[in-house]
Amino acid sequence: MSRPRLAAIWLFGPALAFAAAALVGVGLTLADDDAWGPVERRRAAVVRSDTCARCHPEAHASWARTYHRTMTQEARGEAVLAPFAGEALDYLGFRATMDRGADGRPRLRIAATDAGEGAAPILDAEVVMTVGSHRYQQYLARIERGGEGEVWRLPVAWHVDEGRWIHLNGAFLEPEGTIGDADDYLRHLSRWNDNCVFCHNTAPRPGARADGSFATEVGELGIACEACHGPAGAHVERHANPMRRILAPGDRGAAPADASIADPSALSSARASEICGRCHGNRIARDLAKVLREGDGFLPGEPLAAVSRPIFADSAIGGVDGAPFAERFWPDGTPRLSAYEYQALLLSPCHQEGEGGGLGCGDCHAMHASEPAMQVRRDRPGDAACRGCHDVAAVPASHGGHSEDVGCADCHMPRITYGLVQGMISHRIAAPDPGALVGRDDQPDACTQCHVDRSRRWAAEAMAGLGLRGSPAGPAAEVEAWASRVLLDLYGGDPLQRVLAADALGRSAATAAPRERMAWLVGALEDEYPAVRFAAARALASVAEAAADAPVRAAIARFDFLGGADGRVEVVDALRGQLGPDPFAAQPERRQRLFDSQERQLLWIGE
Amino acid sequence: MTAQRHLRLSIAVVGLFLAMGLWLEAMYGLRAEGWIDDSLRREFLRLGHSHGALLGLVNVALAWGIERLETPAAWAAKIRLAAWIGALLVGVGFVAGGLTHGPTDPGPPILMVPAGALMTLTATVAVALVRPTDGRPRAPQP
Repeated sequence: MSRPRLAAIWLFGPALAFAAAALVGVGLTLADDDAWGPVERRRAAVVRSDTCARCHPEAHASWARTYHRTMTQEARGEAVLAPFAGEALDYLGFRATMDRGADGRPRLRIAATDAGEGAAPILDAEVVMTVGSHRYQQYLARIERGGEGEVWRLPVAWHVDEGRWIHLNGAFLEPEGTIGDADDYLRHLSRWNDNCVFCHNTAPRPGARADGSFATEVGELGIACEACHGPAGAHVERHANPMRRILAPGDRGAAPADASIADPSALSSARASEICGRCHGNRIARDLAKVLREGDGFLPGEPLAAVSRPIFADSAIGGVDGAPFAERFWPDGTPRLSAYEYQALLLSPCHQEGEGGGLGCGDCHAMHASEPAMQVRRDRPGDAACRGCHDVAAVPASHGGHSEDVGCADCHMPRITYGLVQGMISHRIAAPDPGALVGRDDQPDACTQCHVDRSRRWAAEAMAGLGLRGSPAGPAAEVEAWASRVLLDLYGGDPLQRVLAADALGRSAATAAPRERMAWLVGALEDEYPAVRFAAARALASVAEAAADAPVRAAIARFDFLGGADGRVEVVDALRGQLGPDPFAAQPERRQRLFDSQERQLLWIGE
Repeated sequence: MTAQRHLRLSIAVVGLFLAMGLWLEAMYGLRAEGWIDDSLRREFLRLGHSHGALLGLVNVALAWGIERLETPAAWAAKIRLAAWIGALLVGVGFVAGGLTHGPTDPGPPILMVPAGALMTLTATVAVALVRPTDGRPRAPQP
């Protein structure tokens, strides 16, 4: 071989050989239907988030910061937020003791408080998993109460903000129960396998068997990548070919989405919102028996309606008369509990009338570009999400007659939803209409949730004075002349209204003077529902803190909403001494009438 | 490729990719959309900038080495061409791959990088191994 040819082959040959191979690889990949065509995603394997991180490290890192990731975890190390260092919680005639075994595993032991040494506990369990990490953390244990493989949610939880143990009877809107009644105490000892497992894990399969046992499996603990993107086995297999990855179109707007995975950002807002609605919107399964065996069958990107229907106020279920879910909604159909945000969105004009499929969850929230709490899109803080359609020229910030401190959500998404022991904003975006509710006491309105010292009639007239649309105020009920709407709700509303009223009084935006609000809140410390007492105590502490009222702070710090009645009465008496008498002290007949109204409105809302 | 042209073009490659560094810094300063918010693009543009400049310097070194080691002309011209094209392909391949990237990987132009790297590598090895006598006709066997 001549030297010039040898030089050419040595210097250019390897590169040309690579180029030829690459061209062949590109051509074969472009012509390969398996690389580009539809994929049977339903049968794809779950690969878990660690696998996703290999190609999507940033998306994985942003997800790893969220409370979705920590929704369910093995009870080890930092996953366990509670001390489990021998704390005790006395409630309803029982003592729960939280400590650790010799191997460091968290344990819970529950026994009657009057049981002697050596008496058998009603529950003695080792914690195996945790649920939640944001507001409160619940604990799971393997307990066989009816069948093999059962895991049960324990009746006490660690409240993160309060830094204390709470009993779950105090987290749900239910009457307290009878002291010493083990059934009442264990009311929220609920089975994980066919309840919590669905919305707190990825690709859950309850594995219910005919004999009552369970062979429960989850693709991954917590809400991981594949909860929203679907099982990724086919996607990973397809993209093992580097040529497929290199040739993947970068501009998703100009190319069809990759059929091997669901990309919520490439779906219509309605279809993408269904992915959130799977868990943030309680549903009724089309085939419950199948769901209990194999999981809910929902595939992200496919219609949610194929496997279930969302629960609304008038939803019916076979074998149950009437509308069994009605008490979970306000009379106008607005959900009043959390985990119904999807239904609230569906009821919102912004969703129903918006262009291009209307407003969806992703217009305000982001799973990968947001702060963990609330996961609001970083690029749309404050009113920015609303301003995308409602520009300042058409709807100036001053249209409600408020200062700029009041945002769109304050009036159009009022805090009339209960969840996780607190009031939350409603996701039914609507114009306030207090006039339509004058004369009624069955639903809060947006205005008086901040104007806590005002009546609903005042709100309706103020709106009219500002030239805002609203229903004309009808005749007011007699009680509406007695006090502000929120005070009437606090003393005479149903338990959910009472919690919302307490929360409203505790917020810095509330219009009444701090001492007035604190005096009102004292009455709710005697409420029959522990959740109301908890909300009232938290609100009182918050107002006292903002007002730098040290004596009230000291008194409320001694209040235990789950403690014995004697201790609670002592604190209430002390606070009455500091803040003055009951607002209806001079009219006991009014106080009694409101109390009777409470008595007529028992709620029993658990999971 | 002549020795003088190789040296000029190699220095030009160094200048080109150094100038690119100024562009990248300006995009940082201006918080340019599609740069600040796109880590994959940032990574590959940086790779193009650094590899292009570095391989330009390698070309300058090879130009000096070819003269110093008296690499025979039959090899030298091709080595210069391979080394220079290789440097350009690596730098441009990273940049173009980053500009056209998909969801997780650089775009198709990234395939230029291995080809360019192979040319640069074979050119470097050739400078090291080819002797001055390798260009002369062999003496007839007795």
